[in-house]
Amino acid sequence: MNGRARILTLCLALSLVAALTACSGGGDGDDPVTLRVLASPDLTVLEPLLDELKEATGVDLDMDYRATAEREIPQAPDYDLAWLSDDRYLRLSGGNDAGRPLRTPTMTSPVVVGLKPDVARRLRAGVPGGRLSWADIADAAATGTVRFGMADPRHTGSGLAALVGVATAAAGTGGVLRAQDVSCDRLRGFRSGQTLTAATAPDLLDAYVRRQDGADAVDALITYESDLLALNASGRLTGDLEIVRPEDGMVLSDFPLLLLDSGHRAAYDRVTEWIRRDSVQQEIMRRTLRRPVKPAVPRSAELRAPVGNALYFPGSLSVLKQLLADYGDPNRRVTHQVVFLLDFSGSMRGDRMAQLRAAFAGLSGGDSSATGKFTRFHRGERLTVVRFGRGVLEERTVTVRGPGDLKVLADTVARGGYGDATAVWSALDHGYRTAARTAADDPDRAVSLVLMTDGENNAGLTFEEFADRYEALPHRARAVHTYAVHFGEADAGELRRAAKKTGGRVVDADQSSLSEAFKEIRGCR
Amino acid sequence: MSVDRTAQEEPRLTVLRPTRGRLLRTLAFALPVPLIGLVLLMVSGNLLLPLHRVVTIEAKMASKRDFFQDPEVKRLLMKHGFRVHITNMGSREIAVQDIEGYDVVFPSGQPAADLITRRRARANRPALTYRPFVSPIVLATYRDYAEALRNTEVDGGRVAVPQPGSGDRPLYYTLDMERFLKLAKGEGDLGGQRSQGSGEGRQARAGGYRWDDIDPGHRHVRNGNKILAQTPDICEANSAGTYLGLVAFVEYGNDAPDTVEKAEELARNIKPLLVEQGLPSSERAETYLSVDGKSLAPISVIYEHQFLAHQIQYEAKEGRTDDERVLLYPSTRFVTEPQLVALSPDGARLGELIRDDPELQHRAMELGFRGRDAQSDATSDQLAEFLTERRIPVPVTSADDTRAVLPRLSLLERMVQIVGDCPPVQGPG
Repeated sequence: MNGRARILTLCLALSLVAALTACSGGGDGDDPVTLRVLASPDLTVLEPLLDELKEATGVDLDMDYRATAEREIPQAPDYDLAWLSDDRYLRLSGGNDAGRPLRTPTMTSPVVVGLKPDVARRLRAGVPGGRLSWADIADAAATGTVRFGMADPRHTGSGLAALVGVATAAAGTGGVLRAQDVSCDRLRGFRSGQTLTAATAPDLLDAYVRRQDGADAVDALITYESDLLALNASGRLTGDLEIVRPEDGMVLSDFPLLLLDSGHRAAYDRVTEWIRRDSVQQEIMRRTLRRPVKPAVPRSAELRAPVGNALYFPGSLSVLKQLLADYGDPNRRVTHQVVFLLDFSGSMRGDRMAQLRAAFAGLSGGDSSATGKFTRFHRGERLTVVRFGRGVLEERTVTVRGPGDLKVLADTVARGGYGDATAVWSALDHGYRTAARTAADDPDRAVSLVLMTDGENNAGLTFEEFADRYEALPHRARAVHTYAVHFGEADAGELRRAAKKTGGRVVDADQSSLSEAFKEIRGCR
Repeated sequence: MSVDRTAQEEPRLTVLRPTRGRLLRTLAFALPVPLIGLVLLMVSGNLLLPLHRVVTIEAKMASKRDFFQDPEVKRLLMKHGFRVHITNMGSREIAVQDIEGYDVVFPSGQPAADLITRRRARANRPALTYRPFVSPIVLATYRDYAEALRNTEVDGGRVAVPQPGSGDRPLYYTLDMERFLKLAKGEGDLGGQRSQGSGEGRQARAGGYRWDDIDPGHRHVRNGNKILAQTPDICEANSAGTYLGLVAFVEYGNDAPDTVEKAEELARNIKPLLVEQGLPSSERAETYLSVDGKSLAPISVIYEHQFLAHQIQYEAKEGRTDDERVLLYPSTRFVTEPQLVALSPDGARLGELIRDDPELQHRAMELGFRGRDAQSDATSDQLAEFLTERRIPVPVTSADDTRAVLPRLSLLERMVQIVGDCPPVQGPG
């Protein structure tokens, strides 16, 4: 007997005994009602279920699919509910004040990597144990081995979850991403491998289908496990994508249904109760290939794989905003130039020069640590090496297209020929002239300077003279930061002044090694 | 209490509230067909149900909704004329938000209840409180993680040890809180399985040890994340505030700070231990019991009753306990006391009923709660007996364990605000 009949009979009973004062059976909650739902496009796959929902609960969900649903809830149009793939960004931007909407998780899916099987095989072969991490994906992206697609992290739950995952892995702290972890962008190599993006996850899948073969083919997709399973089952692929769960962890989304207008609480309760029924969860799993939220629902074979360790998700909106700002518009190719100003005075001979060469070898792909893989030189990056002593001894610029270009750099650093003095500030001034030329010729290229010295300035410009010349530079050139690597007997105070003046910072190589110092400032602007 | 079932089935008058205009229309429609209605009534069995005055209680509660959502509890409450409509939110959130129009609120612990009753008292609207049962705060984990902790020594002692009397696959461990917090802080000399493999211990790890540090050979776990216990949002949940109190007690040399200055300093010192999890998820127990729970959070701060209820249910279905899920009892213990705060006369009647009715008290025990007599920390005899009957091991308390004391309310609240950057509780009652 349904609820309506029960109310009816109760009311009748009451009328019969004529002692009625009031009668109610759940309030207006049982009335048919249409609710306006702000929905993420990830939910379109559930469209066929909405009729059943209406049949069972009397609630008609009027879905408004918006690509920006995960980022902002529009003020003006009256939405009663929101159904998203992930509400973390909204939770953080909503602040901590009272009145956070009720939320009910409806299904879950982790963000993972789908790789073409031959690419997966190749990557695994290069990793001891064959367990791929985000660092390996970043490394392969930097060398051009992997070209991947990922939805725009500025708008999509899957894109943001992927970005948080890879950034957390890049920080490598084992903990949550903090402000100091995102102060330097370590995802440039990773980003250089992104050749496909879309405003929504469903659009990304369509775009991949079009780009799966050919000269500019995409080898990988970073998105929800459910998207990859759906693609593989769609018959639209010339070859399945292999699901790789990065060893260092993943971010899981739980597709929450949010109650925005608390006046519709009763209808919301009916909808969530229905969605979480075992039979409905089973049906949702069948249609979406997402994991049911109810433990009792038996999972299909492909959803029984362990989901992978969850990474801690940042609890700070400013961290997310910095991360998104650094990553920028994925449709835009971002190019970088780093000018290395390297002290080749006599005091660098011997062990120090060996360290410098090792550092360049590490940045050229020789460093197999996770941080090494994230900070290595990447395809499309322009690198300038300036060797200096009393003056500029040699300047060499390459744009990385392959191992040959990196060899040119290594050879430049390996060449002897030391100067008999250390003209630190003349060298930095030279660096800024180079930067100014790039800023004028190629304004989209982000330039930074790295100044490595092991001694005090004893020739050429004084710091004050450098500072005056710097002030006279055009605005764009002045915006280029200097990252100073302090080594040996260098004047830490003056280096700090230079870094402060230009918006960079100083790293002390004596505390660790030249390799660690170079890695620490890689990705900083 | 002996219960005479036949007596309950006497038809009594049912009155539902509140009144709504639409219902009069329903009634007007229904009146011309009283006979059909009567037949329907007979068929539906409603005449055989106790027809008495049923009031709908509007309630706000957090984890204790587990009790009110239990079908048997619902049935018993209906028998006594109550239906409880629940709005689900964290205990501190209940205290922060407006409670106007509610009959009862049922925060999971004393601090939130005190915030509410004090506010009401200031507004000259005192509220009655009822403490029907208690439940200790526990750290819920999975066997592999418990074993990793068991095989780890910090400063020469194991981080976790099985409770005495448990066999090969213990369900309950005692967690040395001081050593556990040293892991989280990255302090202390690591020994145990870590040193067995490589022959070397480890002295410190800036920012905290990771699971892979204590089990580098991956004998039990493979996880690069920092070792910590995850809580719900401290701005919202009693369990998170209680865990803060527990950590504070341990870090303050087994004592609670007693001045604002000391409390604030302590809160700032322990904040890094409690915010490392990042954005907290709301439902720890649900996550813990979910299929992917082990991947999502190795250790969750929950209440004992949530774990026991799962084991009781699991045993009823599978005929054995779920021995992949195990509990870590902190060596520094704290028993939470959920308080039902009555805001209306009907609410007070409900509070009395939950506290005094033997059937409801018995059902609470079947749902894993300890009776009020168990405040001494021993598992109540009744619960122990009930678990034993079902061949579920009974958690025991060691005489060595310390009972934690929370800082007094105003200080704890201040510490919660510092650790969680939470807005203060304010507003009239």
